[in-house]
Amino acid sequence: MYLTDIHQGEEVRITNTNRMNELVQRRLLDLGILEGSLVRIKHILPLGGPIAIETKGQLIGIRRRDARMIGVECI
Amino acid sequence: MNNVALAGNPNTGKTSLFNRLTGSYEYVGNWTGVTVEKKVGTLKNNGGYLVDLPGVYSLNPLSKDEGVATHYLLYDHISLILNIVDASQLERNLYLTLQLLEYGKPLAIGLNMIDVAKTRGIHIDDQCLAERLGCTVVPIVARTGAGCDDLANKLSSSVNQQAPLIIDYGRALEESIHQLISLLPDDQQLPPSRWLAIQLLEGNGLVRELLLKYISEPTLNECVEQAERNIKSETMSQSIAHHIRTIRGSYIQSLLEGCMRDTKKLAYTVTDRIDNIVTNRVLGLPIFLLFTYLIFKLTFDWLGTPLSDGLDYLITGPLTDIIHSLLSAAGATEFIEALILQGIVAGVGGVIVFVPQIFILFFMISFIEDSGYMARVAMVMDKIMESIGLNGKAFIPMIIGFGCNVPGIMAARTIEQPKERLLTIILTPLMSCSARLTVYSLFVGAFFKQNQALIVLSLYLLGIILALTLAKIFSSTILKQSSSFFVIELPPYRIPQLKTLFQSTWEKGKGFVRKAGTFIFGGSVVIWLMTYAGPSGLKVPMDESFLALIGGALAPIFNPIGFGNWQAGAALLTGFLAKEVVVSTMNIIYVAPDMHTLQGVMVDFFTPLSAYSFLAFILLYVPCLATVAAIKKETNSAKWTWFSVIYALIIAYIVSILIYQGGLLLGFH
Repeated sequence: MYLTDIHQGEEVRITNTNRMNELVQRRLLDLGILEGSLVRIKHILPLGGPIAIETKGQLIGIRRRDARMIGVECI
Repeated sequence: MNNVALAGNPNTGKTSLFNRLTGSYEYVGNWTGVTVEKKVGTLKNNGGYLVDLPGVYSLNPLSKDEGVATHYLLYDHISLILNIVDASQLERNLYLTLQLLEYGKPLAIGLNMIDVAKTRGIHIDDQCLAERLGCTVVPIVARTGAGCDDLANKLSSSVNQQAPLIIDYGRALEESIHQLISLLPDDQQLPPSRWLAIQLLEGNGLVRELLLKYISEPTLNECVEQAERNIKSETMSQSIAHHIRTIRGSYIQSLLEGCMRDTKKLAYTVTDRIDNIVTNRVLGLPIFLLFTYLIFKLTFDWLGTPLSDGLDYLITGPLTDIIHSLLSAAGATEFIEALILQGIVAGVGGVIVFVPQIFILFFMISFIEDSGYMARVAMVMDKIMESIGLNGKAFIPMIIGFGCNVPGIMAARTIEQPKERLLTIILTPLMSCSARLTVYSLFVGAFFKQNQALIVLSLYLLGIILALTLAKIFSSTILKQSSSFFVIELPPYRIPQLKTLFQSTWEKGKGFVRKAGTFIFGGSVVIWLMTYAGPSGLKVPMDESFLALIGGALAPIFNPIGFGNWQAGAALLTGFLAKEVVVSTMNIIYVAPDMHTLQGVMVDFFTPLSAYSFLAFILLYVPCLATVAAIKKETNSAKWTWFSVIYALIIAYIVSILIYQGGLLLGFH
């Protein structure tokens, strides 16, 4: 299951970030988003635009294309 | 001399603290990437230097501005690091702190936004944190100044040598770390070997560059590859960076245990509610456009124009009278009187009258920056920007460019991908800056009295649409790139403080006032002299002056686009210095004592259609001198600098010819 498969507001755990673009992966790592992190989708922008995810009290915008590469599991 | 480096995550209030501690005023905002180069100030209490570094999440840089901080740690002498930490994001912020502690310089922590943390239900025991980290920790609120004096006093006492923090990265990695340390020379000038080794293994390009001076490339690569293999076979992690992140992460977790209590009080409610509206699926974009429209209404119709009119009356009425009587009393010659009244007062005054409008615009831009809306605009625009080969972050330099193109071009440093950054730099000059506003204001007052705001808005949109179109063309031809990149932090909203807003507005606007006193003053004198002198001597009729000759030579070129008179040619030529000079030149050329007379005279030389064509040309034709210098500095390439000048000229001519000839065909005049 990937991050784009879950509903707005639902909290999930990240299981895999390996398929992502390396730069995006590194920046997310800087922000403390890696395997094991709990994330929640806060906002989904229109027309395939970015999504805002919340983790550890911070709000981060990423592209949907990148979110599609983040493996997650329900908790 | 003490060199204190101010380091911390983006948007944690470093610059606010810098301003507090040095008593200076630097540009602050509520978005990631406000500070793009290091700034140096003198500490108020002990005379040491404080260096404000751009915000970084880690010492391993992804963008150019982030590299500035790492570069500083690698090559400059630092006696103390002041690490500013966002108390409401402690866990993430400490990630950088650990790397700084590993670097082994004396370190003091300013625990900022302690008030925000409290309202979110986060309780931090600063004493406990100080003990565990082995350094000074002072809770502060940089925006209000609370705790800052205490921090400043403790800075002078924290300069004792500090041993580097040593974190055990596990057998798999420690082996490689030790191997690298043994390869490095024992040089006091270098940062600690262990820190260098860890940074290299993490993939830090700048550290790698430094180490290649001491270790041969094959040995270095072999060492990293060995570590990579060990990590993959012995741990759960897929890469070294990932492994290091995990180890540091759990180190921070154990550090915070007992020091921080998060009651998980719902934190983002206000931000959530605002975001639900401004990043709404349907409303996001319309709200942004409406907001922009309101800014224009305020700047032109509601507030700006009445104020400018008042100022115009003051300058051309009482002020001119006073200068006139002073000059007569002093017995000034006719030449001096003409120079001052028709040259300087007309030229400089013609520009100064637009100060109210420009300051209102700057005030609104400051408001967007300080409130946290900027990052949302980048989010909302990302999809559109991606489709033309840019990313949402490129929109921020463009918005700043509405104030002035120079800081806009500088702000492009936060864009991680080099090609996206270059593209943003080249296109930012198409954003209509406040200097061009003076020309628009003058013309819309004369030709489009009924629809002032709308006409100006259309020019701004013209700039934006052209920038977006050209971005698409350039990114699919000369600046092709493989992958685009967009990750942005969305800071919580905050209500901007009035004091900060006024300071930011003044900071941005003072350049405009200064320009009026220097460039435009000097320009006005030269332009007036060129209208006063001609091949046949001094005090010639305007049409026989040097300026008329030069402008006349250019005029035929501008004939097809509707303004083939020497006055327009001369104004455009001088406008390269600074676009406001166009207004000064016109004031002098048309011998107009005030804005309304000038607007009356202009009707003889322009039609509404040719006026609009002229405005479009002013918007596009070449970036001003200061902007060209900024492009040169930021791209570090003469080729791209020339490119940005030449493509602008070509586009300007094409657009104006389309407007003018197309307008004529459609029956406008």
